[in-house]
Amino acid sequence: MILPTPEQKAQWEAEGYLVFENAIQGEDLKRLQNAFDYWADACKAEWLDRVEAGDAVATFYDIPNPLEKDPVFIDIIDYPSYYGALMAFTDHDLILLGPQVRTVAPWPVSYTGWHPDVGQSNPLHIKVQIYVNDVEPGSGEFGFVPGSHKPDSGPYTRPMRQESMTGHKTFPGKAGTAIMFNSCGWHVSMDNHSDTPRKSIILIYEKRTPGRIGPEQFASISDYCQTPERRKLFSLDG
Amino acid sequence: MPRIDAHLHVFTKASAEFPREISDIWPAEREEPVEKLLDEMEKHQIDQAVLVQMAGASIANHRYLLRCLKEYPNRFLGIGLVPEGHPNPADHMAELTDNTGIIGFRFSTFGGPRDIFAKMDVREFAAYPIWECAAERDYVLWLYPNAINAHLLPYLIEAFPQVRIVLNHLAVCPGAGKFSWDAFGRPQVQVTGYNLFMHTTYRLARFENVNVHLSGQYAFSKEEFPYKDLAGWHHGLLGGFGAKRLMWATDFPWILEEPGYGKLTTVIEELLPNLSEAELADIMGGNAKRILRFPDS
Repeated sequence: MILPTPEQKAQWEAEGYLVFENAIQGEDLKRLQNAFDYWADACKAEWLDRVEAGDAVATFYDIPNPLEKDPVFIDIIDYPSYYGALMAFTDHDLILLGPQVRTVAPWPVSYTGWHPDVGQSNPLHIKVQIYVNDVEPGSGEFGFVPGSHKPDSGPYTRPMRQESMTGHKTFPGKAGTAIMFNSCGWHVSMDNHSDTPRKSIILIYEKRTPGRIGPEQFASISDYCQTPERRKLFSLDG
Repeated sequence: MPRIDAHLHVFTKASAEFPREISDIWPAEREEPVEKLLDEMEKHQIDQAVLVQMAGASIANHRYLLRCLKEYPNRFLGIGLVPEGHPNPADHMAELTDNTGIIGFRFSTFGGPRDIFAKMDVREFAAYPIWECAAERDYVLWLYPNAINAHLLPYLIEAFPQVRIVLNHLAVCPGAGKFSWDAFGRPQVQVTGYNLFMHTTYRLARFENVNVHLSGQYAFSKEEFPYKDLAGWHHGLLGGFGAKRLMWATDFPWILEEPGYGKLTTVIEELLPNLSEAELADIMGGNAKRILRFPDS
């Protein structure tokens, strides 16, 4: 397990995010990209039907139940390059809430505005966004307001335009980049004015609280979770 | 400041004088005439209203609407319809707006690619000539997009930033097969618990020419009046669009029996209780007067 350096710990505390360049690379990245592309393509028609029926969002789509579709999506949950930091920040008491294997269409407006995911009273809630393709500036890159995760920060209001958010930083990056952030912090997907969809995976974690995730949630992949660490991460033993 | 009901329907019995389409909900003998509306408006201190055409898009189908507008020019403005696939929509629109009180047109489809990932060229959208005409002649576009059309909107809005747009009924985009009528004869639209529209139509707040109706709550809510389960949607729209781009409406006559016209005149105060007096006045009529250019009543 690669634990965070003192500098990383200090940045996490002060700014609420960390960037892991080349977090996934080589054959692992290719395997991830192939699985992503295969399943995104396979699931697209059904998603469009659901959009037409008013049952799904029109501006992006997630591969349903990705952990059951390819074990590569399981392997990135505890991938060594960032897993140690996740464990360290949650006092080695981490659970997975779920993955979002997401394709975001280019569109004149981003599909979401600036927001935090949870309030300060929530147990530590962490997301890791992994770019599956290269994400250039202006093509739906992640945006974050450093320090906005702190209780004494703000107040923040959502601006009409993404780029107008006070104090924000944007994170273009190469495929395989992982961005870890405290979900109390204000974040967004910037506008995508390119003609390239943004492919990314958003992994959602939390510091364990009793009963947060039941053992049935990830029971379908229990064959892939034989170690005590994985069983704990996926809440398989209650 | 006037109180303006920014979206409703009136119709009379189907006749040679006032031909219209018929359905189970509006059979030939049913009428919901303008006099009945005026009665409700009088009772509840509503000064003006937008009459929205229904039951047919042909010129002849608009005769009753045109009569109402002619008879009460200071009380009403009108929204017309364009027949789908009309070979020359500009001519149709011009004929209906020639000093008649019709200020714009309502439609639900834009005729562009179903797939948001497809290459978008607005000039190839079937609705492009309507938007072009609206831009040239300053018509208002009154939109209730089908779910599969929502993603096309910003491309058209970018192409025609001068066109005033009003998204109907909380900017909801109904899904195919999700529309029905309830026991009170009201439209019902089945929507998901998660608000999908905050990722499509709510995102159009950035465009200053886009406005939204706070109306149709009865069709989407799973509760009775005052539809508290939709308070979050109202707050979302207020946060995004601001109090200057929201318009209250009742969707008369569908609401006459349940919850009743009077109750709906209070729905905004119920769902947005923290509005200032000025903001409430804007939503209850000031915005409609300014944006739609109502005459002094």
